[in-house]
Amino acid sequence: MIKRKITALVLIAVMSFSLLTGCGKKSSDTSTDNTDGVVEIKWMFWDDLTATEDLMSKGYAEVIERFNEQYAGRYHCTPITTNLEEYDTKLNALVAANNCPDVFICNPGPNLTQYVESGTAKDLTDILKKKESKWYDSFTEGIFERMTYDGKIYAVPTNFAAALVFYNTEIFEKAGATIPTTFTEWIATCEKIQGAGYTPISCSAGTAWCLSMIAGYLCDRAGGPDNLIGVNAGTVDWTSESFLNAGEKLVELSKYFQKTAAGDSNDQATASFYNGEAAMLVQGSWAIGQINGNNPEMEPKCGVFSFPAIEGGADPNRMIVKTDNLVMSSKTKYEDACIALMKCFTDETAQKYTAEVGGKIPIIKVDYDKEKAPAQLSYVMDILTKSTGTLGFYNESLASVEAGDTFDNSMVDLFLGSISVKEAFQNVQEFYQEHVWKK
Amino acid sequence: MKRLKFSNIIIYLFLSVYALLYVLPFLWMISVSLKTNAEVFINPFQLPKVFQWNNYYVAWNSGKLGIATLNSIIVCVITLLASMLIGSMASFAIARMRWKLSKPAMAYFLTGMMIPVHCVLIPLFIQFSKLNLTNQLLGLILPYITFSLPITIFIMTNFFRGLSSELFEAACIDGCSIYRCFFHIALPLAKTGLFVTGLMTFVNNWNELLMAMVFISDVQKKTLPVTLTYFVGPYATNYVQMFAAIVIAIAPSILIYCCFSNQIVDGLTQGAIKG
Amino acid sequence: MDKIFRNKLAIILFISPALLLFTAILLIPICQTFYYSLCDWNALTSPKFVAFDNFKRLFIKDKIMRTALKNSLFFMLFSAITQQILGLILAGILTNIKRGRNLFKNIYYLPAVLSSAALGLLWSFLFNPKMGINQILAFLGVEGPLWLMDTKGFIVLPMWVIAFVALWQYTGTTMMLYMAQISGVSKSLYEASYIDGASKFKSFFTITLPLIKPMIATTLSLNCIGSLKFFDLVYNMTQGGPNHRTDVLATHLYNEGFQYFKYGYANAIGVVLLLMCFLITVVINRSIKIKNYEM
Repeated sequence: MIKRKITALVLIAVMSFSLLTGCGKKSSDTSTDNTDGVVEIKWMFWDDLTATEDLMSKGYAEVIERFNEQYAGRYHCTPITTNLEEYDTKLNALVAANNCPDVFICNPGPNLTQYVESGTAKDLTDILKKKESKWYDSFTEGIFERMTYDGKIYAVPTNFAAALVFYNTEIFEKAGATIPTTFTEWIATCEKIQGAGYTPISCSAGTAWCLSMIAGYLCDRAGGPDNLIGVNAGTVDWTSESFLNAGEKLVELSKYFQKTAAGDSNDQATASFYNGEAAMLVQGSWAIGQINGNNPEMEPKCGVFSFPAIEGGADPNRMIVKTDNLVMSSKTKYEDACIALMKCFTDETAQKYTAEVGGKIPIIKVDYDKEKAPAQLSYVMDILTKSTGTLGFYNESLASVEAGDTFDNSMVDLFLGSISVKEAFQNVQEFYQEHVWKK
Repeated sequence: MKRLKFSNIIIYLFLSVYALLYVLPFLWMISVSLKTNAEVFINPFQLPKVFQWNNYYVAWNSGKLGIATLNSIIVCVITLLASMLIGSMASFAIARMRWKLSKPAMAYFLTGMMIPVHCVLIPLFIQFSKLNLTNQLLGLILPYITFSLPITIFIMTNFFRGLSSELFEAACIDGCSIYRCFFHIALPLAKTGLFVTGLMTFVNNWNELLMAMVFISDVQKKTLPVTLTYFVGPYATNYVQMFAAIVIAIAPSILIYCCFSNQIVDGLTQGAIKG
Repeated sequence: MDKIFRNKLAIILFISPALLLFTAILLIPICQTFYYSLCDWNALTSPKFVAFDNFKRLFIKDKIMRTALKNSLFFMLFSAITQQILGLILAGILTNIKRGRNLFKNIYYLPAVLSSAALGLLWSFLFNPKMGINQILAFLGVEGPLWLMDTKGFIVLPMWVIAFVALWQYTGTTMMLYMAQISGVSKSLYEASYIDGASKFKSFFTITLPLIKPMIATTLSLNCIGSLKFFDLVYNMTQGGPNHRTDVLATHLYNEGFQYFKYGYANAIGVVLLLMCFLITVVINRSIKIKNYEM
């Protein structure tokens, strides 16, 4: 009896093994020429295209669909998706195994630098400037700045978002508060709102980059572009006056965060804004979709203003922006197909979607339907046209991913009150002394 | 007699309170899976106002949970059978057979338990993609079996050692071959051990994420834990559908577990202790 | 009899499938791991040999490594002690009660069946200042601490919280292993002791405990190795934060390898981790064996 059972089990195991090995033979390479002559390319992305709620990801799904329809019979694109956390792990494993996807999405800053330095990213300068100059001309001016290394362009942007302060006009009215333009005014506004019984600012320190975004803005308002250029070149110390000033301001401002800011996640902080508990939210414009999607009543009463100036500081009209970028693998066999795909991402249809539905800012000069786009987007665009310059997220503008993390973590520590302003920036200073400036 | 009753009450009280610690979080999980995202943040602990059964429907469809469940079942069942067979064979050789290298062999297998999976991930991936094993279920099954072996061998060796040697001696005198000894005497006697290790193996592999995420790119071949991450977006997380998907994903675990645990109870009652 | 158990062919047949799989899938990558730990490598370009630089940096300069070591050792000690005691007590009680044994055992083992990722998320919700335990405390008029963000003390509060959740999740496994082993103890032994007038409580100490000693070594090694390699809950509850205060060896390894792309350096941490596990296993098996001889 038992014998028969065990023999059956062994048989099943052996059979399924051989079955699987049999199937295995059919496996395919990263990119292959199918027998019917269709060129197959892979595109890697950090969100699932069907389960996602993110409006931008949904837009990307449409682009892929459109590409496969438009080039049916010639090209076919298969997306490889992971979630954001395992994206780099998987991408690096694929690159290490010489299996790099033909086109992949990438954050600007040290992340992109890494793929450029290792020779993974293809130099697109010739293609953009000579072969496809019409395509190149369609882009907004200066958009390639952060993708250019030694005069060579290594990535193509698909959209960009700007970080600013969202505010609840209804709460502002009730509290009799006005839009602040300077830091002192901002503190006064916060006082008034607190007096009216609302949380002035919603922020998440549980998700480090949310707090770091405010810290980055303060650093830039205090010292301007020289701060960032200076520390990366080794000419400005992290312990210099303007950084310390920014740190003090962060501590002052953080008194007006919601009580639970230390533990709240990004989703929670955003939720307490769109649920009408908090009056202000410092976020990227990608949050527009999330706000309107979860509480449609918020759209008419949600205003936007630029991050206030620090008195005696630098130019207050600079904005933190962030692009999503497409990188082409230097090993791809199907350059034309990749370019066709990248063009699909940046053509008018896709870019109109970006503005009208995604709530992000197009990277080509395009006339989108302002009626259709969320109300907040036009406020963002207004502020953007007045801006005098842009900078990346602080943690994505530093020397390495690790440097960015060190900055983020020091700011969280400072916010939690476990270290002083001086100690916080001393931490970053030490990291730079050891890892960045020595080279 | 009265004293005994009193101590019984204390024991059951302790057990029940402790059990609450385990049950409540799951009830909460189910209640979250029936809310809307905004509701989760406003009243995390209240019952949902309207039961959003739709969450399950959406999670099942958009997470492609059907195919993922099938893949997970294929991978885990094959891994389970193979690792139990291979593992108990090796443990029997180590625990009961006499050969010089049995101790080093044991030590060799044990090192497998100490290796952090992150360390071997990239070398293994490179090796597998050369062999064209990535992007298919066999490429997951092989490492899963291998990573399950150390713990199977570790526990099963212990069980085989604990069996009384008189049994085997008697069998041998009756002219039993070594294979019969293993399949007919050792394996049935170590049934409890097999179920426990089998359960652990199954659960570990059912929940394994990192390797499944890195090794499989084809949507049709993804396993359940990978599909659960679909609901974590780059800027926002879709909690309600994720919880719905988690509830769907743990159901088979619990089902399998109940089947196995009854077997263990059989083993317990057949074996030694009663009441 | 002896001859049968020395059957070379049978030994080879029994051991070779496991041996082959093991060598192909684990030994080769481990050797590579050892080699990479001596290299400067980001997994994108080819590795550059730097001898013991990674290890020097790890032990002399790396502050996070010190925190990670401290947390990992704390976590190991805490888990080993609490899981052993609680697991053994539960196993002892459950094998001795008449009614509801099945139910309680199933309930206690439940979390071990589920993915740590999902449970980590669930508990981080419960320890979240806005949503969980603190709301209940506030209702009672007590202001709860920042469970997952507190920064004071030698072992920070979040580390205790994680250790508690791990205890909650894994006690079931230890309990199960003990129960399985206790079921192997012959019934006649207990009956004999009851006739001698021993209480259940006493026979647990005089019969059960000595007889399940081999299982103590097993579960203890499992606990210790498991908690040294511990990753999932930490990663899902705090991601090593605030500011690396809850980093353990495995999360430090993950960060260095997969966030900062210092793969060679991460492998050096992996080697340290492996050696520590090895050391612990040897120590446990040695000390428990000696006691066995004393008996």
